[in-house]
Amino acid sequence: MEKEEEMKRIYEKKKDELLYDHNHDGIDRRGFLKCMAWAGTGAFCVMKGGVLKSYSLSSFSDLNAAGAKGELSFVQISDSHMGFNKPANPDVAGTLKAAVDKINALSGAPEFMLHTGDISHLSKPEEFDTVDQVLKSATPKDIFYVPGEHDVLNDDGKQFLERYGKGSKGAGWYSFDKKGVHFIGLVNVMNLKAGGLGTLGHDQLEWMEDDVKHLKHSTPIVVFAHIPLWSVYPEWGWGTQDSAQALAYLRKFGSVTVLNGHIHQTMQKVEGNVTFHTAASTAFPQPQPGKADSPGPMKVPAEQLRSVLGITRVNYVQGQHALAVVNSTLA
Amino acid sequence: MRRRVSISILTAALVIALGTTRTSHQGFTVNAQQKPETAEVKIDNFTFAPGTLTVPVGTTVTWTNRDDIPHTVVSTDGAFKSKVLDTDEKFSFTFSKAGSYPYFCSIHPKMTGKVIVQQ
Repeated sequence: MEKEEEMKRIYEKKKDELLYDHNHDGIDRRGFLKCMAWAGTGAFCVMKGGVLKSYSLSSFSDLNAAGAKGELSFVQISDSHMGFNKPANPDVAGTLKAAVDKINALSGAPEFMLHTGDISHLSKPEEFDTVDQVLKSATPKDIFYVPGEHDVLNDDGKQFLERYGKGSKGAGWYSFDKKGVHFIGLVNVMNLKAGGLGTLGHDQLEWMEDDVKHLKHSTPIVVFAHIPLWSVYPEWGWGTQDSAQALAYLRKFGSVTVLNGHIHQTMQKVEGNVTFHTAASTAFPQPQPGKADSPGPMKVPAEQLRSVLGITRVNYVQGQHALAVVNSTLA
Repeated sequence: MRRRVSISILTAALVIALGTTRTSHQGFTVNAQQKPETAEVKIDNFTFAPGTLTVPVGTTVTWTNRDDIPHTVVSTDGAFKSKVLDTDEKFSFTFSKAGSYPYFCSIHPKMTGKVIVQQ
C-alpha cells in the first residue's frame, strides 16, 4: 500500500517516467503499456536493472550521457531495404546514412552492430554493395547479420551466405559470446510454406538446443532474428510458427532478450523471463497490426518520415537482470 | 451505295468460306491455339485477385504485381514458380493440363490463391 502511494506521487510528479513492479518480475506494466502506445511516435523505452521506464525524447540526451552506459553496448539496425524507391522514402540510402550518423553520435561507442535482416529490397548485388558501403562509415566495425526474406530471393540465400554468413551453420545461423552475454542469430525466412508464418525448422532447432545446453542458467541470452519470434499479428504473417520450441530451450535462463525486425515499428512484450523487442526500419514504416488493408509501406509526409524510422541501442550491465533497450528515431 | 453493300456482303461471304475451309481442313483445336485463351490475376494490397480463377485448358494466366512491395507466384506443388516480381512486373504460365493449382507468395506466405483448370 505504501508503495502504491509512493508510486502515485511519482506518477503525479513525472508523468512520463513510470516505475512500478506489480508482480515483482522486473516489469512496470503501466509504463510498458505507455511505451506500447508511443511506439513509432518518437518516444523510447528503457529496460534497466530489471525496471522498464518510458521517457519523452527530450530527456534522451541525459539518459544517453549517464544512464545508458553499460559494460556491453551494441546497436541493432533493421530493414534497410536498399533498392526500395517508392513513397514514402525515395532515398533509403540517405536514411541509412542518417542511422549511421545517429550511431556515430552516441556517447560511449557501441562495440558492434546487429542487422536483423532485409538488408536489401530485391537481393540484388548492387543493393548489398550500397549497404556495405554506407555501413563502412559506422564507428562499430563488427556487424552481425541475419537474413530477411528480401535477402534470399531467387537463390535460396546463396548470395547472403557468401557475403555475410562466414562461419555460420545451415542457412546462416550462429552464436557468439561477448562479455559473458551469449548471442544467438537465427534464420526464420527460409522455406516458407503456403499460408504459414516464419519458420526455424528442425535442423536449426536441434542446433540451438545443443548450443545452449552447456551454458549456465545465469548467462544472459540475446536472440536475434528477422521475423518476430512471438505472435505479433499472424494474419499478416508476423510471427514464427515453431518459435515456441526455440523459447522452450531458453526457459532455464534468467534473462532472455529477443530482438527482431520485419514489422518496421517498435514493439515490446514480456513473457516470464523473456523480453521481446522489434526495431524500427531505417527505410519505411509499416502500419500497426490490423490498422490498414495490408502490411504495405505506410505513406507519411516527408517531414515526418525520420520520426518513424530508427535505431535500437542495447546496454548490458553485469550483475543486473535485464538489458536496457533504447529505441530512438532518426528525427 | 448498292455497290458498297454488295462488296461488304461478298467480303463477309469470303471470310465465312475461308473460315469453313480452315476448320474442315485443320480441325477445331488448331483454331483454338491460334486464338489462345488468356486470363489475368492482379496482386493488390497483398492479395491475389481473383483469389480463385477457373479457366479452360490451354489458358495463359498472367499475374501483375501492383503493390509497392515485391511478391512471387509459386505453385504449392511445384508446377510453376516466378522470379521475384517488383512493382508492375508480370509472370505468365500456360496451363496445359486440367486440375487444381494452389499457389502462394513465397515472400508473404499468407498470400494464397488457386487456379482451377477445366477440360
